[in-house]
Amino acid sequence: MLKRHYAKAMMLSTLLLLASMLLSLTLGSADVSLADTISVLVGLAPGSPLAETIVWQIRLPRLLCAVLVGAGLAVSGAILQNASRNPLADPYLFGLMAGAGLGATLVSVVLPAQLVGIAAGAFAGALFAVALVFVVCAGQHWRKVEITLLAGVAVSFMLSAISSFILYFAEPFAANRVIFWLMGSLSRTDWYSVALLAPVVVLVLVLALALRRQLDALLLSDDSARTLGVNTTRLRLVLLLATALLTACIVSQCGGIAFVGLMIPHLVRYFFGVTSVRLLLGCAVVGAVFLIWVDNLARTVLPQQEIPLGVITSLVGSVFFLFIMRAQRL
Amino acid sequence: MLNVSAVSLQLGDQTILQDIQFSLAKGEFIGVVGPNGAGKSSLLRLIQRAVPADSGQILLKQRPLAHYTSQELARTLAVVSQHPPPLFALTVQQVAEMGLLPHKSWFERTTGSDEQAIARALQKVGLLNKASQLIDTLSGGELQRLYIARALLQQPALLLLDEPTNHLDVHYQHQILQLVRCLGIAVLACLHDLNLAALYCDKLLLLHQGRQCAFGTPAQVLQQERLQQVFRLPCQVAVQPQLQRLQVTFLPPELTDLC
Repeated sequence: MLKRHYAKAMMLSTLLLLASMLLSLTLGSADVSLADTISVLVGLAPGSPLAETIVWQIRLPRLLCAVLVGAGLAVSGAILQNASRNPLADPYLFGLMAGAGLGATLVSVVLPAQLVGIAAGAFAGALFAVALVFVVCAGQHWRKVEITLLAGVAVSFMLSAISSFILYFAEPFAANRVIFWLMGSLSRTDWYSVALLAPVVVLVLVLALALRRQLDALLLSDDSARTLGVNTTRLRLVLLLATALLTACIVSQCGGIAFVGLMIPHLVRYFFGVTSVRLLLGCAVVGAVFLIWVDNLARTVLPQQEIPLGVITSLVGSVFFLFIMRAQRL
Repeated sequence: MLNVSAVSLQLGDQTILQDIQFSLAKGEFIGVVGPNGAGKSSLLRLIQRAVPADSGQILLKQRPLAHYTSQELARTLAVVSQHPPPLFALTVQQVAEMGLLPHKSWFERTTGSDEQAIARALQKVGLLNKASQLIDTLSGGELQRLYIARALLQQPALLLLDEPTNHLDVHYQHQILQLVRCLGIAVLACLHDLNLAALYCDKLLLLHQGRQCAFGTPAQVLQQERLQQVFRLPCQVAVQPQLQRLQVTFLPPELTDLC
């Protein structure tokens, strides 16, 4: 009974993903019809050069990034929640966002202009935050994930305080740039971002699927996993590192997009199931669909202007969360 | 099957276990008994390699415990213990399936014959009709039986049970021990209830303050003077006429004398 339930959910959401991808290629300030889009994509009938450029150079890379970022964040969240048996674990657990913020601040405010790109700065900052949390928590063998969470919170506040201090004295233009960057957007993504994100997302997903039995064994208790021959310390370390690296890549390309990694796994668990294969594949598809539509919303609601992605995901995510907490499905 | 010789365990400057020595033959059921804090659980943790022994040697199938890889160990030895309620809703089938882990490599699927093995294990513990139920709907006895089914799927040569009858009513206590008794594999179990131990175990290991007080058949171990000293209560040991098994009755001072 459960199996059929899962198959149905998987099929529906995959169809939804394909339809969403096709539909969002036609959305935007320039008018490109569905028929034109398809012919440009397939390359059968030569479309207008303008339509070709819009679809291939602007909309398709951005769409693929939305898919990768949504899938990556949701899968990371699911891995962390299952590996830590903590429903509140989230890819930004390690103070990644604050680290990325500090990195972005340093390269755009303190360092001479254009010396280092904002993405590279954010990536380095995010890794710095992760390294800090790992150094603090290495002694307790990742048994108590609560400690990791708390260390992440402390590191977040510390790094944000430094960023705020720098931004306070920075010239307003540079400060604005960093602040808007932190709110998250896919507008800066291109084929290069796709080439960076695709292998990392696929690698993490394949790694987690390879370790699915080990991950499942952790669901009951550490002792239970250990007596089944799982090295729980090493398993957690590998998974934490993989998700941290993936999230750092995502943050470097599109800034802060909160709540996706926290919210999507809960939604998927309810409709797909709690064990790793169902959860991970479900999260990949549902996370992608969610972020596609958030991005569509972000770029079409206001004329001539984009809403930052993080604003929408946080708003939708928090309302959704409060709603299911009230309905006690969590 | 299992040979424990001169094993000691220290935690800090505290001696938890000292000079433990016993062996467990194929198909034998040994019960570890003793008061709280005697070191029963620590002994089980030593044998499942959760903590290393400070001295002495543990041989599992004539091979030192330390020489096993964790996967080999999980194929030879299964542990049934209490777990906190799971955070996310798992089904009976999914928990049982975890037992396949030591026999599977990365990406290896659960095959049709695996499904049959799961069904057989669930059948053996009487949970086949509940395979698709969530485990938070199970009673304490059913949950314990599910963990036994999971352990069976590891195809172990030795089964360790940590207080398998805790929190169970009399009916389930007997049901679990009868089940374990009939599995035909070697079992080492911590037990609180001396009468249950006398009824179901081939041999008993009595621990007291980390030392091995006695090891042998229930008749050899359960002697009145010894039990009075270890449990610090007057007691009486008699043969239950119907079962022809030993029965221990502790005799606290008259209640009227207490108050």
